[in-house]
Amino acid sequence: MSDETTVMIGLEIHASLNTKSKLFCACATDSTLPNSSCCPICLGHPGSKPVLNEKAVEFATKIGLALNCKINEDFFFSRKTYFYPDMASNYQITQYEIPVAENGFVFLNSGKKVGIKRAHIEWDPAALVHPSGMGKSSYVLIDYNRSGMPLIEIVTQPDLSTPAEAREFMNLLENVLGYLQVLKPDTTLKVDCNISINGGERTEIKNVSGFAAVEKALTFELARQKQEVKRGNKIEQHTRAFNAETGTTVELRKKETEADYGYIFDPDLVKVTLSKEFLTKIKIELPELPEQKAKRLQEQYKLSEYDARVLCSDLVLGKLFDSIVSKSADAITAARLLTREVLAVLNHDSLSLSDVDVKAEDLLELVQLLSSGKVSDKNAKQSVINYISGDKSSPKVFLEKNNLLISATVDLDSIINKVINANRKAVVDYAGGNEKSLNFLAGLVMREAKGTVSPKIVLEELKKKLS
Amino acid sequence: MVKREETIAFFVEQAKNDFSLVEKNLAGVISEIKNSNMKKLNYIEEFDAADVLRQVAELKKAKYKGKLFGVPVTVKDAICVKGIESKAGSKILKGYKPLFDANVIERARAEGAIILAKTTQDEFGFGTFATHTEKVPKNPFDNERSCGGSSGGAAGFTAFTKNFHVAIGESTGGSIAAPASFCGIVGITPTYGLVSRYGLIDYANSLDKIGAIGKNAEDAALLLEVIAGYDARDSTSLENGFKKEDATIKRLAVIKDFFEGCDEEVKKVVQKKISELRKFYEVEEVSLPLNVKYALAAYYIIATCEASTNLAKLSGLRYGAQGDVGGKHFDEYFSEIRSREFSDEAKRRIILGTFARMSGYRDAYYLKAMRVRTKLINEFNNAFKRYDLLLNPTMPVVAPKFCEIEELTPLQNFAMDLCTVPANLAGLPHISVNAGFINGLPVGLMAIAPHLQERRLYSFAKVME
Repeated sequence: MSDETTVMIGLEIHASLNTKSKLFCACATDSTLPNSSCCPICLGHPGSKPVLNEKAVEFATKIGLALNCKINEDFFFSRKTYFYPDMASNYQITQYEIPVAENGFVFLNSGKKVGIKRAHIEWDPAALVHPSGMGKSSYVLIDYNRSGMPLIEIVTQPDLSTPAEAREFMNLLENVLGYLQVLKPDTTLKVDCNISINGGERTEIKNVSGFAAVEKALTFELARQKQEVKRGNKIEQHTRAFNAETGTTVELRKKETEADYGYIFDPDLVKVTLSKEFLTKIKIELPELPEQKAKRLQEQYKLSEYDARVLCSDLVLGKLFDSIVSKSADAITAARLLTREVLAVLNHDSLSLSDVDVKAEDLLELVQLLSSGKVSDKNAKQSVINYISGDKSSPKVFLEKNNLLISATVDLDSIINKVINANRKAVVDYAGGNEKSLNFLAGLVMREAKGTVSPKIVLEELKKKLS
Repeated sequence: MVKREETIAFFVEQAKNDFSLVEKNLAGVISEIKNSNMKKLNYIEEFDAADVLRQVAELKKAKYKGKLFGVPVTVKDAICVKGIESKAGSKILKGYKPLFDANVIERARAEGAIILAKTTQDEFGFGTFATHTEKVPKNPFDNERSCGGSSGGAAGFTAFTKNFHVAIGESTGGSIAAPASFCGIVGITPTYGLVSRYGLIDYANSLDKIGAIGKNAEDAALLLEVIAGYDARDSTSLENGFKKEDATIKRLAVIKDFFEGCDEEVKKVVQKKISELRKFYEVEEVSLPLNVKYALAAYYIIATCEASTNLAKLSGLRYGAQGDVGGKHFDEYFSEIRSREFSDEAKRRIILGTFARMSGYRDAYYLKAMRVRTKLINEFNNAFKRYDLLLNPTMPVVAPKFCEIEELTPLQNFAMDLCTVPANLAGLPHISVNAGFINGLPVGLMAIAPHLQERRLYSFAKVME
């Protein structure tokens, strides 16, 4: 018997859409004071009626298109009934039979295709607040500011085979959603992770926040299921919760089957029909997406596939690149500066681009210095470190202040003479055919010149002297 | 024949120039409320004298004198009036004072109406006799008998009052026509969507229609004209309004299948009236076999499915009846409140509706009923290709005695709606007008028009009168 385990992972991702008002009422979506943004509709008061926010439909349609989905031109909303204190009406308005978008796909970096089953719109329940912690409070407070907020739920096919793939998918999805600019700023994607092995029943890990947590929860659950099977136990379909502190999952409840929610068409709402004009407008408005942009950068600027992909993996980074190259800077140099130096410094300090004040003009100056051979890679790197986590002066100012620019005034001739005289053995070795000795000598010259001369010129001058 | 002097329109015309008429009429209606309350006739659920006086004071200063200037309007309890307890006849909503006026209330106020009182009804509209509630209204023609339901208080008080007054009612499966028939007055149920449902405490949202009840067709049509119209806050609202104008009617058809289950005496009264109508119209017969066979079943499945989700929110958490939450799981608390506060009829419909939309039954019941509904609408539409209006007895019986109603099984109870349910399920406008009496008890005749042809109902009813 083979110990190959077939793993099937499917994700259900919930994200808040960045509309100004809630999904079915006019309440603002940006209130922070508890219960300051609610009305009879999102409180479920008898007599109130929901009215659909068209912006949410627009955003959901964009998401559907970006995930290569079929957009349903006619769709409707349903009531999913269950009793829970955070649910103002004890039913959730969601989409059941016909979601706004279905049957899409995305490609992972490996080229693997991951199916998107559907994307649908629904309203968020209120937030339950446990004042002294889950399970410890003797009472619970309800904050209805969240009640009725617009959510998009994206459901993948069970096409992911490893927890790492699940994480990669989440990164990719977040990037696409970032490009679309449809999510509430600072929103955390909440993920329900479904996993099964060897064609067995699946377990669902509810409400995991954060990509590292998704990978961790799945890794734990995968190991747990393997262990169970090894012990001869059968996996039964059920729901689990992830404990981020311990990195483990625990059983929550037996999974109610879908139909127990007793879905009916929401009779307060009418069928939504997307007009041809609306769809055309949305398609036109759809921004360039990461994959398209990466392709364009390779073609337009002859960037490597790697550089192009890295530049497009983050909306802000890609925009930074765009504005640098728009000033006719050398694209390859700019790409290398961003993907190597800038990202290296950010990663080192666990920062993201949006945390720091990086200006395209400042980096443009550095790219120009680099491409005209006026600064060494090493000094360029120093200037970036200082720019991001030092005194934050612009790279050019830093280089000038510290005399690190390659200048014509350096007396290269005397430096070379000095180095040759002090390293006779290397000179002899080079004459004897050892190319490495030339590099050794060039390094010494560079060090002596504090990097203010171009390595290319140093090598040329050295060769001349030694020939 | 209704005299012009007996209509609201005439009263309003006079009242615009003489406010004392408003005060005199109002005083008369208020004393009738007190009188009917004293006799325990139970038409009025909630009456706030101070609120009424406030309205009168404002009306006195009003520059615009509208179509309902100074007219006292009673409102079915299920329709929200800001700050006034609105509980749809249910104990579970005791104390619920809406933060907003229903759209129909806003419209009526804008035309100078005085929002007088809330009228009694079956809990959430669940009933044909207005008996499924604590305050059961008694028929003004015979206090041992039902007013009909569910808008029983509205129809009962309209028949009871000697003053100028109209009532806003609501129909899901016949809740305007049935009490109009039993109380011998006029009830118009409009096309689904003509009147905004914003502010209506739902029974079954895809069926609920707010409508107008008056002593005569003029009054009911005037009220409908005021309350109809587009409202962005109700997604199912239609852009068409209603104007009280005459329409040409040539051919009528009597729905013969609807006579089958009728009391013989009722049949005779209605047939006699119809034969008189032959002077004015061509009258033929039509059969609607699908509606006779399937309308009730489809209606009760759809209505209870929707109702069971609507009532889910009533759990003692945010408004209405409350209980002691101490130490209980929320499920336990919700169950306690719901078990205690819902009547047996509400529980019956919640269970029925929940069952019909659950796993394994949803396809066979809920979805099938939705498909059947489309076929039933088509059957009506086909008949309307040939006829301008369709006629039938509103109710198969005259107002029954309360002791008779107690004897009915739930199924016999549901069967009473046979004539009113099809038009309601199809969202078709209909009117019930008095066709005569049996031993002093009114008999109603119902006319059904195609969607948005309320004008035909108005013209027809005037001829009837």
